[in-house]
Amino acid sequence: MRDAPAWLAELQARFGEAMRTPLDRASGTLTATPARYPAELVRATGGAEARLAVYNRQYWFRLFTVLQTVFPLTVNLLGAWAFNDYAARFLLAHPPTSWDLEHVPEGFEEFFAHELGAHPHAEALSSAARLDAAWRALLREGPAVPFGPRAEDAARLADARLVPSPSVLLWEERWALLERKVSLVGPRVDEPASPPPRHDAPRWWCLRREQGGVRHLPLEPGEGALLGLLRERTVRDALAALEASCDPEQRSGLPAKTQRWLARGVERGVWRAVDFEDQRRTQV
Amino acid sequence: MTTAAPIPRDALGLGLRAAHYGHLLSRWPEVGYFEAMSENFMGDKRASLDRLDAVRARYPVVLHGVGMNLLGHAPLDESYLDALCRLADRVDAPFVTDHLCWTSAAGLSHHDLLPAPHAPELVELAAERAAYVQRRLGRPFGLENLSSYVSFERSTMTEWDFYAAVVREAGCWFMLDVNNLYVSSQNHGTDADAYLRAIDFSRVLQVHLAGHSREDDGTLVDTHDHPVADAVWALYAKAWREGGPFPTLLEWDDRIPPMPEALDELQKAARARG
Repeated sequence: MRDAPAWLAELQARFGEAMRTPLDRASGTLTATPARYPAELVRATGGAEARLAVYNRQYWFRLFTVLQTVFPLTVNLLGAWAFNDYAARFLLAHPPTSWDLEHVPEGFEEFFAHELGAHPHAEALSSAARLDAAWRALLREGPAVPFGPRAEDAARLADARLVPSPSVLLWEERWALLERKVSLVGPRVDEPASPPPRHDAPRWWCLRREQGGVRHLPLEPGEGALLGLLRERTVRDALAALEASCDPEQRSGLPAKTQRWLARGVERGVWRAVDFEDQRRTQV
Repeated sequence: MTTAAPIPRDALGLGLRAAHYGHLLSRWPEVGYFEAMSENFMGDKRASLDRLDAVRARYPVVLHGVGMNLLGHAPLDESYLDALCRLADRVDAPFVTDHLCWTSAAGLSHHDLLPAPHAPELVELAAERAAYVQRRLGRPFGLENLSSYVSFERSTMTEWDFYAAVVREAGCWFMLDVNNLYVSSQNHGTDADAYLRAIDFSRVLQVHLAGHSREDDGTLVDTHDHPVADAVWALYAKAWREGGPFPTLLEWDDRIPPMPEALDELQKAARARG
């Protein structure tokens, strides 16, 4: 297939530069600054700076909209104006490279956590961004389906690993963010909302993709800890680690509780498979 | 090769939008066909594909892309085409369309439909690529005319001559967007009627309708956030008289109204045909 003419690469590169020119915030609104567009491009379009500004604004507003849609809780806590500032910094550092708009937000939560620095609400804000990102990941999945091991696998289950379902996530919450997130309705506002209260002790939730959305189900503290351990260890090791973390009083009722928690995890579709590979490697 | 029945020439279709799923998947309204945005369903998007499959079980689905980068300096993205072909096969799309434009440069994607100079050497480039895409898809491939806000000193052809030459040389199809034709003709002071006369309507796969906005300086912008403008309906009626019947599809991408309202707007197309 023939190559494109060389001048096209130059023209498109300059056009792209103009589109990515940051919008000015000094006036209190996001304003294009056509004087900063590449002179070669302006000449190539017969001096159409004002019209190039249409593309420049569309580029930024489209991407701001993508990020605001994926991070609504973060927008709520920061206000749209401040959020867009972080979004612009992220997009300048990580301009989109894929045809797929869904890739645009990838990595924003890590970038944002770093950029927050000494912000007075840094911990709550970065947690909010992680929750928004987790929610988005669930929405991309289909509904969770209950999964349980086969009866014939029961005997060797202790040394197997349970494989987490991508349709269910565990969420350890230190700030009352979930209730805020699910209560968000109406248009986004520029003003930041008051930060949510901090819990006295962390709370655990199961975030489950269902038909029509994401449901959040409360977990008992030990249940959350166990499900977290099961994501990283064999069943036997997870149970042992949980038991070791309990004081004697908690330990006395633990077997009955763990049975209940394991059964509930299966019902909720927390797992999608059992991996006996670790066991086979041990046997070899 | 597609085995799908062709879309009836007088069919009325609607752009498939997530905002309408609640109504659509519970009421199953009478609609001739739906047009899915290709990129929304390409790749491993399980939840989106589940809904698309449910829609496809009841309606014909055609595909419309915004990311092929046909006029980009870089070669066509084969992995993009692989994913598009898989999706077209999955829904057995009667046809697939994208735009006569570029979207990416120097490894960066701009997520916009960007104009290129109307130059003979780009006719050859676009036609060769469009013909290749159509062969890979194994089904009709249509190119849509753009809404544009700038023109280039390097252009030596009218937009309609450029567009018609690409379609003719590629052996592909027109995907004529009447709103885009109107927006660009207003922005550049060109003759919308001459544009229509340059179109070989026997090669029109589909016609798009949408709303636009007017900037403070008078520039028209293709925002898809309003009902179709009266002037665009008038141009559509003229196109129908010149070359109808052709399948007609309404796009609405921002400030999306409830589905019954969008369907009412779509029905205006039947009335505009006279």
